[in-house]
Amino acid sequence: MTEFTRREWLGSSAATAAALSLGLAPSPLRAAAPATGKQAPGFYRSKLGDYELTQVADGARTFPMPEGFIVNLPKDQALAAAEGAYMPKGQVTIPFNPLVVNTGSKLIVIDTGNGLGAFEATKGAAGQMNANMKAAGIDPNAVDIVLISHFHGDHIGGLKGADGKPVFPNAEIKVPAAEWAFWTDDANQAKANGFNKAQFAGAKKNLDGLGDKITKFEAGKEVAPGITSIATPGHTPGHVSFVIASGNARILVQSDVTNIPSLFLTHPDWQVVFDNDPALAVTTRHKFFDMAAAEKAAIIGYHFSFPAVGHVEKDGSGYRLVPAAWNPTI
Amino acid sequence: MALTRRAALLGSAAAALAPALTITSGWAAAPAAGKQAPGFYRYKVGDVEVTVITDGVIRMKLPETFVSNVKVDEVKAALADAHMSTELFNNTYTPVVLNTGGKLVLIDTGVGEGGFNASKGTAGQFLNNLAAAGLKPEMIDTVVISHYHGDHMNGLIKADGAITFPNAEILVPAREHAFWMDDGEMSRAPAGRMQELFKNNRRVFAGEVMKRLRTYEWDKEVVPGLLAVGTPGHSSGHTSHVLSSGSAKVYIQADVTHVPYLFARHPGWHAFYDQIPDMAEATRRKVYDMLAAEKMMVQGFHYPFPANAYIEKTSTGYHETMVPWNAAI
Repeated sequence: MTEFTRREWLGSSAATAAALSLGLAPSPLRAAAPATGKQAPGFYRSKLGDYELTQVADGARTFPMPEGFIVNLPKDQALAAAEGAYMPKGQVTIPFNPLVVNTGSKLIVIDTGNGLGAFEATKGAAGQMNANMKAAGIDPNAVDIVLISHFHGDHIGGLKGADGKPVFPNAEIKVPAAEWAFWTDDANQAKANGFNKAQFAGAKKNLDGLGDKITKFEAGKEVAPGITSIATPGHTPGHVSFVIASGNARILVQSDVTNIPSLFLTHPDWQVVFDNDPALAVTTRHKFFDMAAAEKAAIIGYHFSFPAVGHVEKDGSGYRLVPAAWNPTI
Repeated sequence: MALTRRAALLGSAAAALAPALTITSGWAAAPAAGKQAPGFYRYKVGDVEVTVITDGVIRMKLPETFVSNVKVDEVKAALADAHMSTELFNNTYTPVVLNTGGKLVLIDTGVGEGGFNASKGTAGQFLNNLAAAGLKPEMIDTVVISHYHGDHMNGLIKADGAITFPNAEILVPAREHAFWMDDGEMSRAPAGRMQELFKNNRRVFAGEVMKRLRTYEWDKEVVPGLLAVGTPGHSSGHTSHVLSSGSAKVYIQADVTHVPYLFARHPGWHAFYDQIPDMAEATRRKVYDMLAAEKMMVQGFHYPFPANAYIEKTSTGYHETMVPWNAAI
């Protein structure tokens, strides 16, 4: 057969045996199964040396792309790029993926999601971290350390519950010293406008009353067993990423060096509206991902699609994410 | 002294007096869970709720002849490009359950309880993950089979031979069924894999399974909204299914490609599993050209869970973009 069409296949199948007669008819009386309308619990586990990592989805926000979402790109091109990345027409989806690290002796959370207030405000689309931690069997009371990458609301919004009480009552909250310095400076706040203005108010609200639990760390130091912070400024002044190492295994936790990879990893020079110092963020992005690609490092990205882990490769003038294949066993 | 956790851990007297410390569960190191999350994922296609269910994975040493028409080093290079192991091949299995108008339709079964036991639970996870998704085998109304390879239909029966889905009708492609039940074909089958497949199919398609079995034809709806499309080559009667509801569609391809990072990227590669390799390749190119042109979502049995992707044409083949996980359906 040189060339064949569906019709031909169909035609030749006419010679096959006639349909077998039906034996046992299924009972027609069984009730219809209702659709569940509910997604599976959003957590995912992997091993890193002796450590166990649990990605915990905080959900995602989908919203009409605002003017200036990509600061240095005309909106029509930004919309076309988003549509090319299979986002709903005219919209952007940004997922949020905190991480839990179990070292065997310490339970460590890296970033906290949008918080339970956001859960209500978004009708459950975001702020899912608590529910998904519970599904994963992780007790917030058992968390020893909370590491914060930077002070945007989607990273620190989950430090306190809707009642204002600490969500991780027994945890030391460790924050980048440079980040603390920037966001607690009244002069900086007075100068802020737009996105930053809201973030100053949010940081105050999210951190207020937690003072005695908070300690500050300098970038470049080990901040928890096997976890070292790396200064990756630009997105915010004190923004940090982390390296987690156990045995010979290591993984980079990039935080927000890039926002959604389908736009900003593929086009590292595009500036997302959330970058505080866009030029510095671009420089950091190139430096970080050149290193990650050269090292073939596994990377966790806060705004990657759940389970938010993969590898980054150089691709022309940009990079591409190769998402890790889901592992059904760990 | 300030009441800190450190003080509590050190067992200081002050800490012992603190009422908050009566909650002790938080103090001990939390044990590692050692278990993956439940392997199911939901999405909507129009009014139909699709539940993707992973059956797990079998890892096997990459055979030299895994791709019959290229050297194993090329295969290893492609695996390395995908950041997968170059020594062990990860064979994953991903059945789907459709809830269409209150009827539950399962497409392909996974390797079954026998496969669960043989793999010590790395595969044959379907029933466990089905339960995690809140579904029971007796709730399944219809099982639709794409083709007669063990990872797609061995789950019709349990290890003891009893039927797995007691209330389900079993719908199979007429052409596939005819091929494997044909004694002449069996007598001409080459020794090794093909003969083993015949033997396995005669074992499973017997007894209770046959009593519930009905054949279906290509280009007809198997159940309302689910069109059977002939995609032969991987096996002689291999069948894919297009699910449509309203204007939404998903192409449930079964094995038009095996893992995308080898066979979508290199559609000309002939997998060890393809029964009629040239026909399988022609089918693959035709289907993938269509998926790319129509921007139609594909659900691939051997894609990484949740096994749902869009296809783009590249200069050398195709590239799959996994559909982003939707945290709220």
